[in-house]
Amino acid sequence: MKKNIFTKLVSGASAAVLVAGALVGCSNTEAATSTEETATEQAAVEEATTETASTTEEKAGNYRTLDEIKESGVINIGVFSDKSPFGYVDENGEYQGYDVYLAERIGEDLGVEINYVSTEAASRIEYLQTGKVDIILANFTVTEERAEEVDFALPYMNVALGVVSHDDNVVTSLDDLTADDEVIVISGTTAETYLEKNYPDIKLQKYDAYAEAKTAFENRNGIAWANDNTEVIAFSIENEGYEVGIPSLGSADTIAPAVTKGNETLLSWLNEELVTLGQENFFHADYEATLLDTYGADYEDTLVVENTELP
Amino acid sequence: MNWNVIREYIPLYVEALGLTVKIGWLGIIFSIALGLGCALVLYFKVPILQIIVKIYIELFRNTPLLVQLFFLYFGLPKLGIRITAQTCGILGLTLIGGSYMTETFRSGLSAIDDIQSESALSLGMKKYQVFFYIILPQAVSISIPGFMANIIFLLKETSVFSAISLMDLMFTAKDLIGLEYKTIEALFLLVIFYLIMLLPVSLLGTYIERRVRYAAYGD
Repeated sequence: MKKNIFTKLVSGASAAVLVAGALVGCSNTEAATSTEETATEQAAVEEATTETASTTEEKAGNYRTLDEIKESGVINIGVFSDKSPFGYVDENGEYQGYDVYLAERIGEDLGVEINYVSTEAASRIEYLQTGKVDIILANFTVTEERAEEVDFALPYMNVALGVVSHDDNVVTSLDDLTADDEVIVISGTTAETYLEKNYPDIKLQKYDAYAEAKTAFENRNGIAWANDNTEVIAFSIENEGYEVGIPSLGSADTIAPAVTKGNETLLSWLNEELVTLGQENFFHADYEATLLDTYGADYEDTLVVENTELP
Repeated sequence: MNWNVIREYIPLYVEALGLTVKIGWLGIIFSIALGLGCALVLYFKVPILQIIVKIYIELFRNTPLLVQLFFLYFGLPKLGIRITAQTCGILGLTLIGGSYMTETFRSGLSAIDDIQSESALSLGMKKYQVFFYIILPQAVSISIPGFMANIIFLLKETSVFSAISLMDLMFTAKDLIGLEYKTIEALFLLVIFYLIMLLPVSLLGTYIERRVRYAAYGD
């Protein structure tokens, strides 16, 4: 029996520690300070807790200034690795695409090496807020909600939403969908937010990553796939048997580089850089190098944004 | 930490908990049945079936659940077999759980000394009587700790279901972070809800372990 009581005690104690740990960890300073006032015997332990709490809080606004990036010689840029033709890894393992073309130029003009960090749609803001990347160049649509969490530089591309479906069952209006029809979206994209807000009755089938959403759509797990219209148009051009029934949905938005909230040195450098690039028509060259094969020349002027003046 | 946000999120987490528990427990029940069946095949050394079971165990114990789910959900439709995400989740959990349960059962069965069945047979008991009245009760009792560990393992494995578009606890948290950027609140609730799901199982496990430890000597 001794052994049994021991097992019970150990499991009970570890459960208590787990719960306590979760509570202290999440409500950080509040919990730490209030317990400090009451429990004086545990002063030493509490001190340690408050210390860790305050350091994590300092790190919450964690970013590297322009000088720190230059000094380190490396800039971390978050890009997509599975979203052709904007950010993807080619057969040689190199990052390529419209966003990457800009990233390469930024690295060159800063005079630093680029460390590409592959991101998913839903984790883009987290990556900036935790300082894992300095800039996000992952086809990041500017929205008001996002602008509260990160700082956007000047835009470099136009975008709206679009809906693609199989060409034997084309969805031309979202109002035609029946209760059984599921629409595929990627978690953390503007398409998801838009549909959640404006079409709360449509059943959404959510995926983490582009690659999974694509395969699910190909397998007909959903009737249609809603995403940035650039993406769905590219998909229907690159793959046979699909048609973009709704080429433009929601408001016309822009895509811009984003930095951690408050990182002003990097933000103003980026804005100046984007204006300089605008003067040399850099993004037209970018389009011709990366997007022309997919979209043809027709979309060049509707998609590309060149900046001529600072905000 | 914003408590209003937490209050607003709780219904979403409750819904996700429902789905997680439903898929989790169905998967667990099926995997116990599958595990028991396979363990019997191994114990009685059924020809041919024995080899199939061995291949199955090695295949599913040595590949991650995520890979198995990808195969079931994205691979099978290419071969013309369509199953819904939920069925796929239950099937995936059953298959990986079955392989673990088989091993746990088998170890319990082989822990019973041969001398017991030999003695029982010499007393004139039938083979099936020996198995069901002597071997199996002891084997189950010995397997219980491993069993409970498997159950908790399977419930935690449900966190990879986001890959096949099932809104389980993990995906709900990730999705809310992506939609509204309330990271601390979403993650706090995630930890709490996993504890709500798993702590009772773990405590119940300790209790059951204590109650059925009749196979151990001198206890």
